[in-house]
Amino acid sequence: MDGSHLSVVVDLCPSQWHLSSLHQPYPLDLGSFVSQLLAFLNSHIASRHENSLAVFGAFPGKSVLLYSSANSPSETPSNDANSFPPFKMVDSTIMHNIVQQLDALDQGLDEEAPSALVGALTKALCFINRLTLEFNTSTANATEGLEPLTLSDPRILVLSVSPDQTTSYIPVMNSIFSAQKLKVTIDACQIYGPETVFLQQAAHLTGGSYIYLERRDALLQYLTMAFLPPPSIRQTISVPTQDKIDFRAACFCHKNIVDVGFVCSVCLSIFCQPVPVCSTCRTKFPIKTLQRLNAARPSLPLTSASQSRNSSTPPTPQKINGHASVTPSQPLGPGGLPPSGSINDNSTFHTNGAKNGLGLSG
Amino acid sequence: MPSNNSDVVDDIRDLTPVLNKPHALLPFLQLQSATSLSRLYQSPSSCLSIFRLLDSIERQLVMNLLWLESAISLTTMGAWVVQDQKKVYDDALDMLSKLHILHISGKLSLNTTFKTSLRHAITGGGTTGSFGVPAEKDEKRPPMDVEGLDGYALERWETILHFMVSSGTGQTPTRPSQGVLYLLQRSGLMSNQHGSLPQITSAGFQFLLHPPHAQLWDLLLQYLHMAEERQMDLVEVLTFFFMLSTMELGREYLTENLSQTQKAMLDDLRDYGLIWQRRATSRRFSPTRLATTLTSSSPSLPTSTGAASSSQQGFIVLETNYRVYAYTDNPLQTAVLNLFVSLKYRFPNLVVGSITRDSVRRALNNGISAAQIISYLTAHAHPQMRKFNPLIPVTVQDQIRLWELEKERLKSQEGYLYTAFASQADYEFVLDYAKQLDVVLWENNAKRCFFGSLGGHSNIRNFIERRTSGAT
Repeated sequence: MDGSHLSVVVDLCPSQWHLSSLHQPYPLDLGSFVSQLLAFLNSHIASRHENSLAVFGAFPGKSVLLYSSANSPSETPSNDANSFPPFKMVDSTIMHNIVQQLDALDQGLDEEAPSALVGALTKALCFINRLTLEFNTSTANATEGLEPLTLSDPRILVLSVSPDQTTSYIPVMNSIFSAQKLKVTIDACQIYGPETVFLQQAAHLTGGSYIYLERRDALLQYLTMAFLPPPSIRQTISVPTQDKIDFRAACFCHKNIVDVGFVCSVCLSIFCQPVPVCSTCRTKFPIKTLQRLNAARPSLPLTSASQSRNSSTPPTPQKINGHASVTPSQPLGPGGLPPSGSINDNSTFHTNGAKNGLGLSG
Repeated sequence: MPSNNSDVVDDIRDLTPVLNKPHALLPFLQLQSATSLSRLYQSPSSCLSIFRLLDSIERQLVMNLLWLESAISLTTMGAWVVQDQKKVYDDALDMLSKLHILHISGKLSLNTTFKTSLRHAITGGGTTGSFGVPAEKDEKRPPMDVEGLDGYALERWETILHFMVSSGTGQTPTRPSQGVLYLLQRSGLMSNQHGSLPQITSAGFQFLLHPPHAQLWDLLLQYLHMAEERQMDLVEVLTFFFMLSTMELGREYLTENLSQTQKAMLDDLRDYGLIWQRRATSRRFSPTRLATTLTSSSPSLPTSTGAASSSQQGFIVLETNYRVYAYTDNPLQTAVLNLFVSLKYRFPNLVVGSITRDSVRRALNNGISAAQIISYLTAHAHPQMRKFNPLIPVTVQDQIRLWELEKERLKSQEGYLYTAFASQADYEFVLDYAKQLDVVLWENNAKRCFFGSLGGHSNIRNFIERRTSGAT
């Protein structure tokens, strides 16, 4: 397996792209974005005959596989002596699918729903997993009882125009962990909109590159220089990396991104205020600890905290349980597991955007 | 024998950097003039194919510069390079500038022709038609399907190889066409010295052990050299190769837009199995897998037939007791194995033999090296063998190398023996002079004789003559 695999996740939320096309000083509309994207995709296929490609589109409320080089073409494009058949294939398939999906949106689907970026990211991971499995069965490694091989340099590139959705914190983190396990590098590029905390973390934790695009007129050059080289080349020609990463997490109770959070010392669930019972693992915390932690909190008055605590019955217990079964062995940040002095004790963690790591107190 | 072992280690180290070697075609392209390269770069398909033959770092550098309108300064580009990898980067720049793809004069910029063509290749468009003009579907005569093309290519290619391998054994396999025979002789893979039947040379034996992809490019490079002598336009020949490499397998293309040179090439390429035509005069042709995988590293020999698919997977099991089990019924593979294995039994799908001193010495005498034998065994090892590390048993590897060293125990050198000196003083006087010239290969004081190399003879003879005339 010589070629490298690239999965591209494209955010195709029409409302955000509309805003992007009006944004000054560097407007970028969907049309010119797609044409530059296609040139980038063709460059990837051009690099090696064996390179494989998959493109996933994130539309409002759903995610779709737009193109995959693993699927045999259903229809061959019309004859043309001036273009390379595989490029033509990519271009026409992707254009056709995007137009089809956007038309479907016009017919009454909810355009205001946030784009299903996480859904598309998860599909991209599943796709890479499938390729790995197929590759292993085809080389008869699985049957011979050998070490399963991983694909060389699988990568995911996320091109986003939407702001973070705080509700998707847990699925994003889970995707990052599975990417680490599959040895997938996640690159991210925020083309329009505010900086995203989650994509920064995804790129940082998987050794990828994150770019916040300011010069939108130079999109193709950015894509080529930062995201075209596979990890093996990045050892020689470096790609931009982040000088600061926002490590803040979202709390499990209200899905807010928190600066100061409270972590269950048993299952590592994060809460925005001290809770008597962990909503994920049902661990009870002693009342004295709660009082101490509440007293230590600087800004929030105690009354509002206790009110919100009443309302903070677990919103989606199944989901959180599912998460808890994954996380115990995985630290929720690069700082590692919080040291637990006594087991039934809520730990507080502070996050600081400029420093890598968790400051622990309480 | 510690010295032998260290030699073996050195040999293994020599084998590893093969991966980083530039593609065989690139040195040939470097020799071409800037004008002919510039003509070549006018075709988008050629640019795309050459781009693919480049090393990964070189490709990335080209891509970085492709969409820039103005030149970029060397320092700006250098800032992207990791410091301890500077040499790789400099080598890449050097290669690109030798191919006239890159202009380096304080600033870096791509060759304008190359840039325009590669942009056209990636975005589509233009009117060059360099990717071949596909033929409309003909309902009455559908194009040959992929299996048919694979079978055809395999049959043609194996005919050539089989003819080479069995040329010395007295068998009479199918002869390839006259053009192929001529190419084989011109390229020094076969020689015509012994009577009418061409004989395989040591270069030919080495060629047989190369992977199919390298064999194909070997022959095509020879074809390019031959094209130069036949006054064919090299640029058109190359453009046609590259056009073929970007074509789609299983599709028919029209010959109408080809130049005269390229139409003449159709006959040759049909003989090599690169293209298929219904009749020699047909106005359509289909490229085979041999042609469409020219610029990739994926297996160029079709995988449809049983024998070939096993060769992709590997079919040789080698045991520590020098026994070889080859799961194949392909006569070509059997014949190639027969070059260095003494075969014992043959079953419908299995050939058993063993590597012996005699069989390896026979191979060495034919000009095959120990490294080639080992790399062939490695390349075609059965999946079962891949469990072991190292893949080829160390005992066998070392023994094959030792047999090679054994053969190199004697070396011959031409020269003159100086003997019958009148006195010990005379002898020493001449010997000292010869030692000053550094031409003494062997000396024996007791017998008063020494052996000097050919180059030093005239000096020594003059010296002795001067001395004898001076004495009298």
